[in-house]
Amino acid sequence: MTLKNMFSPNRREFLLSASAAAAAAGTGLMPRAAQAATSMRYMCWEGYDKPSIIQSFEAANDATVSIDLITDSAAGFAKLAAGGYRDFDVVSSDSPWIARMGPAGIGEYLDDADFADAYAGFYPQFQAPFTPLQHDGKSTGLPTRWGWVGPTVNTKFDTLETWSSYAPCFDPAYKDKICVMDWGDWPILPMALYAGIDPYKELDKAELEEIRKVLRALFKNTRAVVADLSVAQKGLLDGSFRALIGGGTYATSVLRKDGHKEIMSIVPDKKDGLNQGIIWMEATGIVKGTSDVEKAKALVKHMVSPEVAVELAWTDATCNLVPSKNAEDVFTAEQKDALQVDYAQTAWNGSHFHDVAPNIDDLLKIFQEELALSQ
Amino acid sequence: MRVKEVNWSNKGLLSATGPLTIMLLLFFLIPFFMTVVLSFQSTQYYRLQWTWDLDIWKEVFSEYFIWRIMWRTLTMSALCVVLCVVISLPIAYALINRMKSMENNVKILIVFAFLADAVLKTFGWVLVLDKSGVMNGFLAWIGLPEIDILFSPTATMIGMVYNLVPYTIFTIYLSMDRIDRDLVRAAYDAGASRFRTFWEVTLPLSKPGIFAGAILVFVLSLGVFLEPKVMGGGTRPMAAELIRQSFETRVNWPLGAALTLVVIAIGAITLAIAGKIAARTSAANATLAQEDSK
Repeated sequence: MTLKNMFSPNRREFLLSASAAAAAAGTGLMPRAAQAATSMRYMCWEGYDKPSIIQSFEAANDATVSIDLITDSAAGFAKLAAGGYRDFDVVSSDSPWIARMGPAGIGEYLDDADFADAYAGFYPQFQAPFTPLQHDGKSTGLPTRWGWVGPTVNTKFDTLETWSSYAPCFDPAYKDKICVMDWGDWPILPMALYAGIDPYKELDKAELEEIRKVLRALFKNTRAVVADLSVAQKGLLDGSFRALIGGGTYATSVLRKDGHKEIMSIVPDKKDGLNQGIIWMEATGIVKGTSDVEKAKALVKHMVSPEVAVELAWTDATCNLVPSKNAEDVFTAEQKDALQVDYAQTAWNGSHFHDVAPNIDDLLKIFQEELALSQ
Repeated sequence: MRVKEVNWSNKGLLSATGPLTIMLLLFFLIPFFMTVVLSFQSTQYYRLQWTWDLDIWKEVFSEYFIWRIMWRTLTMSALCVVLCVVISLPIAYALINRMKSMENNVKILIVFAFLADAVLKTFGWVLVLDKSGVMNGFLAWIGLPEIDILFSPTATMIGMVYNLVPYTIFTIYLSMDRIDRDLVRAAYDAGASRFRTFWEVTLPLSKPGIFAGAILVFVLSLGVFLEPKVMGGGTRPMAAELIRQSFETRVNWPLGAALTLVVIAIGAITLAIAGKIAARTSAANATLAQEDSK
């Protein structure tokens, strides 16, 4: 600890000191967690905070893990980049943001050799070096959960063929029947792909205007723009929403887990030479300056171990695929069906791998403007 | 009455006002100052850039969609005020004049509804107004066709009025409760009907309560977030949602800060105008009272 830090401790150091003080006090009245040797702060999406996941790590590593849940990956990154990284040890977020932590100076680069055992159990497409999480040949994190974004539909009301394209989003027959997920860039990117524009490259003014027109047309048919998954899922089940745009498997599989096998997320057919699906991936990385790198690495390894991967895939809020092939052996047939495992390769082949679009600021502004002017 | 003059070096005064001053400084003035500072920066690729320029303010004053949302917020707030006052007047009147025996019970019920968590209440309304919800179930039971008002401005307004009407009920109730009953009896003795008595005695004397309630509801309406998002379906965003989008989705903190200041300014201007009107009205009333006494 530097002199400066000594007089202005960050939350991570404060927790560490408090924990040490508690241990020194040794009253014997404190709960086990308060006496743990290491206090860690973990920023993550819901699901990663599942007690069965965290408690098993704490017990095995003599640590206490405090959770800070992310509701938006970009906002989580912004919080870290604004100095918040000093308060955290490990982060699980969308892969583009984990990949940016290293270059932004807020994430530790990882040596793939340290995680060789984990990679050995992964599917071939996630083997090291895993390009989406690499920067200058160095790893920024390990993949932990994934899925795809395409229209989420209820096959009780529509056939899957109907949604082999995003065209129904603009069909007057579907007026007030479309639900757009208010999840940052997720509803925007599929619309760009439908417009025949690859949003993952630098866009010119004409291309941005084209995306604007598609979003304008989408909002004409949109019944609701929702951020809350339960509202979207309820509407999908009762037919008031015929499709969710921007949700994909993240919105689907928990319904399938509950027995609603009529709900499916698919990837539309290729259009204008462009894949129409998007693969999203969450990853786990270590924050720069963590006070205990070994414990942080242990937490990353814990998150990608097959036993934890199964737990992570199967949570109350959302169910998703994991990169661990070994985990698949642990899944039951029922779980595989809910996760649409049989469709995963088709979705992978028909999709782009998600990254932060170069024109993301413009795209989000266009979305905000068109939504404001739509009604 | 003797007024004791004290200056700021007085220890008693300092210790009495110190805690409040510190609270205001920590939780209002410093955050406000930081918001002002933030509004002169910019964002690029989700990262805050300390640019110290007027770009964000130029964007705020030149973008039509921002002012369309502000106008929508103002009109929805104004309509909410009118509805809250119209609903509250008969409730407050009935509490004082027609439901004396149940007055406390009704007040407790209103307070309970008021104190219940806003998120719960708002999502509760979704279950009522939903296509397959309680309201349409009831309509089907009595043989009427279903109504689809969830995710519409009507649903937003229902949510806003439901959450804010207790403010006007209680301010108007307090005003009416202070009215001298002899004035009402005098009106009846002079042959005035109930309606005329209400119109010419009760209503004018309830003006301070109506005014205070209206101001409270208007200022709070400017910041409603849940109702347009959850009940209105998010397709007609209001100012608070615009600010949330700017901060969270766009990670454009300078824009969010500037928009926050715009909404604060609208609220402050409204309060200032209301204060002026109140001062003029009380001055006019005082003049009238003086003339009457002559």
